[in-house]
Amino acid sequence: MTQRITIDPITRLEGHGKIEIFLDKKGDVENTYFQIPELRGFERFCVGRPVEEMPLLTNRICGVCPEAHHMAAAKAADMVYHVDPPRTAKMLRELLYSAFYVTDHATHFYALAGPDFVMGPDAPVAERNILGVIHKVGLEIGGKVINARKAGHTVIEMIGGRKVHPCTSIPGGLTKGITKEQQKEILELGKWAVEFGQFSLKLFNDIVLGNKEYVDLILGDIYTHRTYYMGMVDENNHINFYDGKVRVVSPEGKEFVKYAPQDYTQHIAEHVEPWTYLKFPYLKGVGWKGFTDGKESGVYCATPLSRLNAADGMATPLAQEEYEKFYKTLGGKPVHQRLATHWARLIELLYAAERWVELASAPEIASDNFHTKPTEVPTEGVGIVEAPRGTLTHHYITDERGVLTKVNLIVGTTNNYAPISMSINKAASSLIKKGTVVTEGMLNMVEMAFRAYDPCFGCATHSLPGKMPLQVIIRDAEGKSVEVLKQYC
Amino acid sequence: MTKILVIGLGNPILGDDGVGWKVAEEVKAHLPSPRLRHPSPNGRGEGGEGSTIEVECLSLGGLSLMEHLLGYERAIIVDSMETGQSPAGSVQIIPLASLPDPMSGHSASAHDTSLMTALKTAEVIGADIPRQVDVVAIEAQNVYDFSEELSPPVAAAVPEAVQAVLNLLQGVPHDLS
Repeated sequence: MTQRITIDPITRLEGHGKIEIFLDKKGDVENTYFQIPELRGFERFCVGRPVEEMPLLTNRICGVCPEAHHMAAAKAADMVYHVDPPRTAKMLRELLYSAFYVTDHATHFYALAGPDFVMGPDAPVAERNILGVIHKVGLEIGGKVINARKAGHTVIEMIGGRKVHPCTSIPGGLTKGITKEQQKEILELGKWAVEFGQFSLKLFNDIVLGNKEYVDLILGDIYTHRTYYMGMVDENNHINFYDGKVRVVSPEGKEFVKYAPQDYTQHIAEHVEPWTYLKFPYLKGVGWKGFTDGKESGVYCATPLSRLNAADGMATPLAQEEYEKFYKTLGGKPVHQRLATHWARLIELLYAAERWVELASAPEIASDNFHTKPTEVPTEGVGIVEAPRGTLTHHYITDERGVLTKVNLIVGTTNNYAPISMSINKAASSLIKKGTVVTEGMLNMVEMAFRAYDPCFGCATHSLPGKMPLQVIIRDAEGKSVEVLKQYC
Repeated sequence: MTKILVIGLGNPILGDDGVGWKVAEEVKAHLPSPRLRHPSPNGRGEGGEGSTIEVECLSLGGLSLMEHLLGYERAIIVDSMETGQSPAGSVQIIPLASLPDPMSGHSASAHDTSLMTALKTAEVIGADIPRQVDVVAIEAQNVYDFSEELSPPVAAAVPEAVQAVLNLLQGVPHDLS
């Protein structure tokens, strides 16, 4: 009989997740299981609907990144109708998407990841949140985060028609463009966002990189896995969130494959485990070898860190400087330490802000040529974007009327299900040993293993009373509960 | 002039999670216009000179929801609830302040903070947050299957929840006929 520790549901996770840690007789970790409930029936819900509804429907899958689903759906619908949107439409979509990235990455860093570093991973729970960060770093920071979100939402609303759930992308482009006055306003907001990105990186530099304890934590073995890395790149192999090819590099950093969105089924397969409904995507060309890392295992990772590893650089100058500093500081490419994902996320934030300015500066962004009318018979399409949490794939098949007959989605976090499971196992095994008193801080450090991935299990349920209690049950050899730790239940 | 916001919260394509939207839509139908302005006939109620009531349907939480509440003096949030302690369709009115903050130290999601913490954050930086937020919560049965339909007990609870919202607005001078 083994001992059992349950973290149920995980804190800071959308949807009800559960970690179970089984201890052996000696009190060491025998195994860990990371389970999440599947939202059922989305494919069935979509089949029979017109494909042009998908940019609106799919952004309701998840309350966290509706903009990413909107974009992937729009791109898939473009392909279904065999229509190439005008340059202005593509630029406007990418501009909206860049503004979204700034808000999303800022929220994750300041509200979720930041507290672990600013307050410390084992700081009192009541202080380990955004309020604690504000108290410690200063009121100014709260205002900056709110302003960053406001700026992003303003752009999303101008181009997407609504602040959070955009509604303007249709097959062939957009339903509306922007005026020159709006372009000017968006440009000014973008310039502020660049400053905010630089401020955030300086903060990370001062607070995290300036603290040897944190640097050791980041570079330590607890949070390290040598896997394949995935990310979308442009023609220069620079990161692009909206368009390009999906590139995968090996644990040594060499290109393993680069594929166009419509070829994804040739390269990605899904492994099934009996203890979870969710599938584990892996690289077909390597094969599933279990929850293990290394070159022989088809497990790959798709996160901000993965995107940096999978690319040759950043397409904007300030982000490129930070990219070079990142690899110089951490010992070259690729970086396998998962906690470095937080730093990578801030470099992406700066890139998104710079890209925002670049796109808003282009004269053709305010052109009225924002839609190409589809004329072909609809068939099949795949749309891929980089969601903040990983590569997002939408695949639709329709009949000749454009009515959906098949839908398949691989959402950002699903890519990372295997590596997240591996990271939890490694962190738990490293921290919980025979005779160890399991503390709240220790469990938070187990949680940090998956929080680095910014996981999202597409829930969007906002049901009260707030969903994320933490419960830890420690069971004795007979399976009886001997201790229960609760954050909130 | 008191500015009041009624929010139907949830995901309209995720079964009972959409109940907040359904209730908000009916509340809106009971009001003469989505944006109601009505003078106070007797000086009672909020604001004295009358109130503005707006009704919105949102799929948001945490910071984003807080940002929607800025500038309103009062808010009523209609949402599904999963306590497992009450039968599906049970309706409760709960002041937000009396709900335990689910994140105190942790957060309610991987990507956001809880509404309570978001409101405290806004208050700390001097933003104009509502002085009162009430929650009308309906116990859900199914929030994991995609559907635009409510389960029968939750659908049956919609009139009671609508009335609960209207009762909360009773202190506000306006015509609910």
